Amino acid sequence: MAVFKILLINGLVIGAIYGLIALGYSLVYRASGLMSFVQGDMVTIGAYLGITFYRVLGLPFAISFVLTFACAFGFGMLLERGVIRVLLSRNVIPIYIVLATIAIQYIIQNTAQAFYGSVTQRFPSVFPNKTTLTVLGVTAQTEAYLALVVSIILMILLHFFMTKTKFGTAMRGSAMDAMAAESVGINTSLSTGVTWGLSAGIASLAGMLLGPMYGVYTTLGATIGRKGFAGAVVGGYGNMYGAMVGGLLLGLVETFVSGYWSGTYKNMVAYIILLLFLLVKPTGIFNESAIQDV
Amino acid sequence: MKMNSKKLLPIIIGAVVLLVLPFLAQMITGNDYWVLILCTMLIYVIAVSGLDILFGYSGQISLGHASFYVIAAYTTGLLNNYFNIPLIITIPCGAIFAAILGAALAYPASRLKFHFLSLATVAFGEITYYFLYTSPGGFTNDYKGINIRTISFLGGSYTRWYFWLLLWAIVFVVAKIFIVNSRTGRAFIAIRENTHAADGMGVNVQKYKILAFAISAFYVGFAGTMYAHLYKYISPETARQKQSVLFLTMMLFGGSGSIVGSMIGVVIIEILLELIRPLQEYQMLLYGILLLIVIIALPGGIVGGVRDVMADRAKRKLQKEEEGGAQNG
Repeated sequence: MAVFKILLINGLVIGAIYGLIALGYSLVYRASGLMSFVQGDMVTIGAYLGITFYRVLGLPFAISFVLTFACAFGFGMLLERGVIRVLLSRNVIPIYIVLATIAIQYIIQNTAQAFYGSVTQRFPSVFPNKTTLTVLGVTAQTEAYLALVVSIILMILLHFFMTKTKFGTAMRGSAMDAMAAESVGINTSLSTGVTWGLSAGIASLAGMLLGPMYGVYTTLGATIGRKGFAGAVVGGYGNMYGAMVGGLLLGLVETFVSGYWSGTYKNMVAYIILLLFLLVKPTGIFNESAIQDV
Repeated sequence: MKMNSKKLLPIIIGAVVLLVLPFLAQMITGNDYWVLILCTMLIYVIAVSGLDILFGYSGQISLGHASFYVIAAYTTGLLNNYFNIPLIITIPCGAIFAAILGAALAYPASRLKFHFLSLATVAFGEITYYFLYTSPGGFTNDYKGINIRTISFLGGSYTRWYFWLLLWAIVFVVAKIFIVNSRTGRAFIAIRENTHAADGMGVNVQKYKILAFAISAFYVGFAGTMYAHLYKYISPETARQKQSVLFLTMMLFGGSGSIVGSMIGVVIIEILLELIRPLQEYQMLLYGILLLIVIIALPGGIVGGVRDVMADRAKRKLQKEEEGGAQNG
């Protein structure tokens, strides 16, 4: 039972992180009908920005958190304006956009390496006075609980932002039908940009939450990002709630497999689940609209 | 087919250049290194031509083709290492096994739309990587990779390898020309242009999509076996996304859906990567930046760009003639 509880907590923590990243994929897909490979590397950016603000500049964690979000938000918008929109306006075949996001991936990973080197960086503890915490008889790193709580708060906030605020409704509207949204006076250009910014921002926060647990290295986001994508597919690609559920589910399955069976195949399990869902049930748990061809 | 001297001349010049190239490279640099690079280019020409059949002609995307490359390389290497089967059998086995896996993946995956197909292939590549990295019983020698024998009659001479690979590159490129101009090739193009219309015209879409996958996996697989025997070593690392993206970059840079495009792309990207190699840790950064600039500036590849310029010139010429005609009349 003790093992089960520990695995449950660990699974929920990593699952919540996957959920956050999956959310970003789904938001971008809804808004632009595109898949951005950069999403995962936003996690890397977030983690390195976190180190820069928290460790190098010595700012308090909460302020670093907000600054990281702001920087990543700006970067996401810039990416959409500077690259994606330029390519879309030229009517290039979609593969060029995929390739462009891969090129940006290389740039991000290697810029991070140029600044911080290829050694895994230590992310200083957020709670130096209380490194472990016991909840319901399970003792884990305090940052793990922090990651879980913050992820859930972020998901709830996002839910209210998307459904209850005027801007969130506008974002959903322009994702659904850009021309109709335009005709009722919604600034679709702005809301698309904000969507990209938001998904980048959320992913960067995921990176900052992961940092203290995993350490920070240049390919941190690439691996985690693909797991997040798997989560989005499992839940139903393009569905906000599906992303959260799918991410959590994937985290749990992965953790239980490596806990009870073997850690060797931990990474393979996620990709096999992704492939199975893509091939057998591409609409995911939430039966999100067709992603099938012919 | 009638060949006039105007068409024949560039072919003869091309043939002569290809024949003297390895000796020239050796003379100028004084060592074998660039001959090895030339060999690598020829291998990539085969692989990228195969990828182009899939993407450029049948319009399907794969970000996991490096896994076929590596699977074929492991197949030939392991069969030869464990069972001492001669290479003349193991090399085709590798390429055919890659083709079978390609078809097996395409059977369900061909129903997926663009982005999701690309992700399915990424997942396939990652599964291949992790499988080879931690195989059951360690029969793939895991992360250490395996040492592979070279082809005996080629020995260690890169110049001999060059001519051997040149022969195969020509065979595969000529085969590609025949494939894309055949009934099968026309079916591929119909699917690329409009899947639903192709279906409506009676093209068996799924069958041809699977066929395209199998053919391109065969090309890439063969290239993989050659790579393994040339470098005498293969490791799971090659199965990762980076290698697949390299193939894709070469194809798109040259221009997809074109015979010469694949070749131009391979040559230019390979030379470029060699030139920026001294930058070491900044190599990939510069590569990323260059890639991004090229995508934004030249979204049809080199062949597409040249085609645009030619079309533009032809249009202007026509306009001028029309204007001239109007003045005269």
